Amino acid sequence: MSFRLALAIAVSAALGARAASPQEVVIGAVYPLSGGLAKVGNDIKSAIELAVDIVNDDIDLPLPLAKGKGLPHLGGAKLRVVFADHQGAPEKGLSEAERLVSQEKVAALMGSYNSNVTATASQAAERLQIPFLNADSTSPLLTTRGFRWFFRTTPTDDEFSENFFKFLDEMKKKGKAAKSVGLMYENTLFGTDVSKFEKKYAQQHGYEVVADVAYDSKATNLNSEIQRLKAAKPDVLLQASYTNDAILSTRTMKELDFRPQAILAMDAGHVASEFVPAVGKDADGIISREVWALELGEKKPVVKKVNDLFRKKTQATRGQAIDMDGTSARAFVGLLVLADAIDRAGSIEPEKIRAALEATDIAGDALIMPWRGVKFDPKTHQNTLGQGILVQIQEGKYRVVYPFDLAAAQIRWPLPAWGK
Amino acid sequence: MKIALAILAAAALGFPFVFRGPYPQHLAILVMLYALLGSAWNLLGGFAGQVSLGQAIFFGAGAYTSTLLAQHAGLSPWVGMIAGALVAGALALAIGYPCFRLSGHYFAIATIAIGEIAGIAVTNWDFGGGAVGLFLPVGTEGLLSFQFHRSKLGYYYVLAAMLLATLLLSAWLRRGRAGYYWRAIREDQPAARSVGVPALRFKQIAIVLSAALTACAGTFYAQYVLFIDPGSVLPLSLSIQICLVAVLGGVGTVIGPLLGALVLVPLSEATRVLLGGSGRSLDLVVYGLLIMLISVFEPAGIAGIARRLGLTAR
Repeated sequence: MSFRLALAIAVSAALGARAASPQEVVIGAVYPLSGGLAKVGNDIKSAIELAVDIVNDDIDLPLPLAKGKGLPHLGGAKLRVVFADHQGAPEKGLSEAERLVSQEKVAALMGSYNSNVTATASQAAERLQIPFLNADSTSPLLTTRGFRWFFRTTPTDDEFSENFFKFLDEMKKKGKAAKSVGLMYENTLFGTDVSKFEKKYAQQHGYEVVADVAYDSKATNLNSEIQRLKAAKPDVLLQASYTNDAILSTRTMKELDFRPQAILAMDAGHVASEFVPAVGKDADGIISREVWALELGEKKPVVKKVNDLFRKKTQATRGQAIDMDGTSARAFVGLLVLADAIDRAGSIEPEKIRAALEATDIAGDALIMPWRGVKFDPKTHQNTLGQGILVQIQEGKYRVVYPFDLAAAQIRWPLPAWGK
Repeated sequence: MKIALAILAAAALGFPFVFRGPYPQHLAILVMLYALLGSAWNLLGGFAGQVSLGQAIFFGAGAYTSTLLAQHAGLSPWVGMIAGALVAGALALAIGYPCFRLSGHYFAIATIAIGEIAGIAVTNWDFGGGAVGLFLPVGTEGLLSFQFHRSKLGYYYVLAAMLLATLLLSAWLRRGRAGYYWRAIREDQPAARSVGVPALRFKQIAIVLSAALTACAGTFYAQYVLFIDPGSVLPLSLSIQICLVAVLGGVGTVIGPLLGALVLVPLSEATRVLLGGSGRSLDLVVYGLLIMLISVFEPAGIAGIARRLGLTAR
């Protein structure tokens, strides 16, 4: 932080404390709290409420604003979050965002899980000139709109795809050099989008794409697809599949004895709860990307502590102890990032909060995510330090194997031959 | 009747000056949007008695046509609106031709099916943005470019004018020959045909007009929200909401859909605002209960209540 900025913050904090230091700072949160996504929305709500408790109470955790009560640069003002339900409808997200700003006088907004609702709700924030922090929508489009008031902490689908290639680059340094990749993906939006990114990054990182196989995820037979892959002999297979086709393709690979050095899967079917029970031992060795894992707690003790608090919170408010997942963890971090910026702004003026968000610089250690930190790109406002993790199925369990400094288990490479 | 209308018009004109915040104005815009959609549905479902549960197709046609024309050909949204109305009209003819052979519930079911097919098709349509949707380029503000950023007044009055035109059109149609033909078809189609009413042609006229007006509303929506995707402009829930507004307001009356929107939209917003943040879905329960109460105790809709109170003529 520059000296002048520090001075400005100190002065405004001092002035703020004496003059019009607000008793509480209100943040609006627009999430799907009813309908098909109600479970996800309510997990997010619990996570945000937990983060608010951590800011408002004096808790000894290595997280932003955990120690001490409230926001110190705002005279210890407390945070309060007003929740609104968008029911998964973009037009309702827009209307709730406007209502929270005009009726509830929120200082900033958070939301909204569904990428399409985030699109419209953040548009309302942009028009009303209120900061909008998005913690959980991964559509790359959102940060290409040139918005001044929109900030995103989570990595996008685009970055998750690049992760694979960064991983392959690092494996190369460890002497496990892969030169060619084969792509196998289901042929609707999910798979084709992933394949586009993977092709782009394969070229950038210098890997040859030797097979490009799209298939129908409802197919009952994948023999010819696997034959094509087998003939192309890729070193690494990049797969994007839903559940049934992930199971079928794994069985077919065994039948036809197709075994690349590694299989890197784009979550979805390969991390669905049915996958491992269905293919049993044959699932071992498959690597999938993930957003977050509870196992990160082995290298980052704070993850486990926050998860314990989360279980206590959900037990108390919802009658059952729930573990955190990638979505609730990201929402939790999102609130802390926003609170940190408001505190540094020392004010609830939107323009000052916006400037503070732009100056955000939180280290990876102060997060429960596998990220290297939070720092927004000055133009797009996308977090530049985010990254996903890779999990490998070992003895039927998903173990964190990458990034290597956060790994809970040794990576196994290459895949053993079938039947060994 | 005339006095009531004059009061309504004055209230509509003055509303944004009394309620200056963006949220009340947004609420008023939603009311007018659904009133417009309900009135368009009413031409087909109310006057001609052909219940359509696929109006979202036409809404989507309007939204996508004007947006794609603006993005790829740089055409003004106003031109896009006319083009969208033409596209929707053509779609309506194509849908009406086979589906009007079906009657009653079967026609309604067919429109649901076609609506769902349209949703899935657009989701897989790369040029139309697929499931990701389309962002409208944010351009200069003004009536010509159909974008207003600093205040909603522009949107408000444009939509008010569109709604007024729709209501006048439907009042005029209802009083004219088409209105009588439609009512004859609605009451008893074989009897209507036996006295020389060209039933198929007039049902086609109803669906084309209904589709064109719905498409205009779709273009308005796209310009207002500046983002469209299949989930927001082509869902079955939108088709049902449109039908609900008209049915609860009063089927087959000119003013019914407006009354329905005036009650339903604030009701849905109010229950969500008051109860939605709790995360217990109470708002939807209350909303559904209120709809049930209205339909059980006043099958003629809100227009029926208004008529009983002497507020409007038949």
